[in-house]
Amino acid sequence: MQLRNTVDTYGALAKFLHWTIVILIIAQYVIIEAAEELPDGLEKLTVVTRHKSLGMLVLGLALVRIAWKLVNKAQPAPVPMPRPQRIAAAAGHGLLYVLILAQPISGWMMSSAANYPVTFFGWFQFPALVGANKELHEFYEEVHEFLFQALLVVAVIHVLAALYHHFVRKDDTLRRMLPFGRRRSV
Amino acid sequence: MNRSLLPGAGWLAALLLATPAAHAAGTWTTDAAHSRLEFTATLAGGDFGGTFRRFKADIDFDPADLAGSRFSVGVETASADTADAERDLALRGADFFAVERWPSARFSAERFIALGDGRFEALGKLTIRDTSREIRLPFSFKPVADGSRAELAGETTIRRLEYGVGQGEWQDTQWLGDKVRIRFTLQLRRHTTTQP
Repeated sequence: MQLRNTVDTYGALAKFLHWTIVILIIAQYVIIEAAEELPDGLEKLTVVTRHKSLGMLVLGLALVRIAWKLVNKAQPAPVPMPRPQRIAAAAGHGLLYVLILAQPISGWMMSSAANYPVTFFGWFQFPALVGANKELHEFYEEVHEFLFQALLVVAVIHVLAALYHHFVRKDDTLRRMLPFGRRRSV
Repeated sequence: MNRSLLPGAGWLAALLLATPAAHAAGTWTTDAAHSRLEFTATLAGGDFGGTFRRFKADIDFDPADLAGSRFSVGVETASADTADAERDLALRGADFFAVERWPSARFSAERFIALGDGRFEALGKLTIRDTSREIRLPFSFKPVADGSRAELAGETTIRRLEYGVGQGEWQDTQWLGDKVRIRFTLQLRRHTTTQP
């Protein structure tokens, strides 16, 4: 499997970034739901702190993924499909990128508004995006929760679309993004 | 006695008892609205700041009369403000300042050393909760407006655990650092009333 994309399949880096981001986002949800159950204290603090570091990791990986998409000219050729469907796919993917970027940024703003530092696993500290402000903190908290629900809806549509391609249309759309997927011989 | 009926009365009384009526040195009134007492702590490898909203600084200071100079500062620990309600509540709680038992932190100093160039060092006693320690507090003293006003500013770093700030699980310094930076800027006005 080669690093770069080919006309047949996504390359190793694009696949790695795609699936790592998927796993991290699912982990992020599990982590923060677990934190909500904890009473205020050191344990909750440590769990929320990890959630924040992982969120910054998602942000970084998403930026790398977008950068890689931009420099990696060879994209797998689109599976033949009607124009409205192609437009919908492009819009859905664009929206996914926007949400994956906006979600950690809204969490970062939420922390900044509450005057909590955001670090990368304690190695270095990110600057505060906004000044301390209790009302803004609550606003960003709602934004953060709303964005997650929006991300969930778009991701479910994304998965359903991939499954539709794979099982109904029986084309290579899903297979070319699977970790060890190969294009069927045509 | 029901403590909650007299919030803050303890530290106020302590402050009044500790303040003699007359001094040889210059006596100043602290302009509370323009004075600040701030701290910076570390959480998970990052910094966050806070401020004490209410404190009373009795400053008798004259660079020409260090022997007659003294500081007496009372800080209302319940006024610690870190811009987050949950964290502020935790700071007031038993594991940190325990404000019900110890409503005030205090700093008093009667020994001063001139370091030159408007800089001095106060050798005094810092009390937080029920622990007192001798500390050296470097500061600058800048008279302004013909000496009718002055700015007194300085900073130092203390270790919170030496004062028991952080009990139980909070003695772990991996997440909440031990070192706390304290920074203050006092705007002083020369006391105009005649001392007896």
